[in-house]
Amino acid sequence: MKRNRLTRGALLTAAALTIFLVEMMIPPIVPIPGVKLGLANIITLVAMMLIGPVDTLLILLARILLGGMFSGQIMSILYSFSGGILCYLTMLLLRKHIALSQIWAMSIVGAIAHNIGQIAMAILVTRTWELILYLPVLMVSGILTGLFTGLAAQAAAVKLKGKL
Amino acid sequence: MNKTIRTRTWILLFAVLLMASLAMTAWIMRRKAPGTTACIYSDGVLIRTVDLNSVTESFEFSVISERGENRIRVEPGRICVVDADCRDQICVKKGWLSESATPIVCLPHRLVIRLEAGSADVDAVSR
Repeated sequence: MKRNRLTRGALLTAAALTIFLVEMMIPPIVPIPGVKLGLANIITLVAMMLIGPVDTLLILLARILLGGMFSGQIMSILYSFSGGILCYLTMLLLRKHIALSQIWAMSIVGAIAHNIGQIAMAILVTRTWELILYLPVLMVSGILTGLFTGLAAQAAAVKLKGKL
Repeated sequence: MNKTIRTRTWILLFAVLLMASLAMTAWIMRRKAPGTTACIYSDGVLIRTVDLNSVTESFEFSVISERGENRIRVEPGRICVVDADCRDQICVKKGWLSESATPIVCLPHRLVIRLEAGSADVDAVSR
């Protein structure tokens, strides 16, 4: 049982890392800091819905740390972390109120929370409150990208239900 | 307390949020900065100011920190980052800043360029 759990966690972390690193190679389309697809969140969503909060947190933390190291962007760990944790907390709250067919909604809320966490950290780091002007744009992008990754996660979760 | 929130509620919520954010975005995009003095911050510390209105000849300079380098170009009335050795190049793609209130940001290098109301003390660069 314990070995099963470890294997499952490692497998999902590896999948999340792969997605994360591949996405990093896509150059940003819009010149606004923080706008990205966030495809790695697919794994977090699936894990949250099918496995449980503890393992999801471990997978998320491992992905953020290793992703930052592998990409050589140590600074980005800070932003990923603040965004990731806020996103995780909202998903934790919503978990019991979400059906498997509503993962897209949880994904959007998570994406918005992620962007808020990231911009808060950026304001702290650069001490520039004007960065908050980017929040509405990030809300729009969060809703759109969150919907996209959420639908992808939903498709994955439906297929993987009972198999993880 | 395991009640599922209805899908209709979600759609309504996100639609309202999307509309509000779009309206806010449009409003912010049109917002003007309080002045034309470009203030360049590295790691939250003001390192250089340029009054864009008194620039007559274009020039370039670099901001170098332990995190990396940003090459900044100043032309009469406007400023931009022309080159940076960061991964995302967001500061370069952002383009010219001339009157907008939204700052140029390079998060990997913690560099911020924003326009502020000019102060009385003259800076060496603009003369």
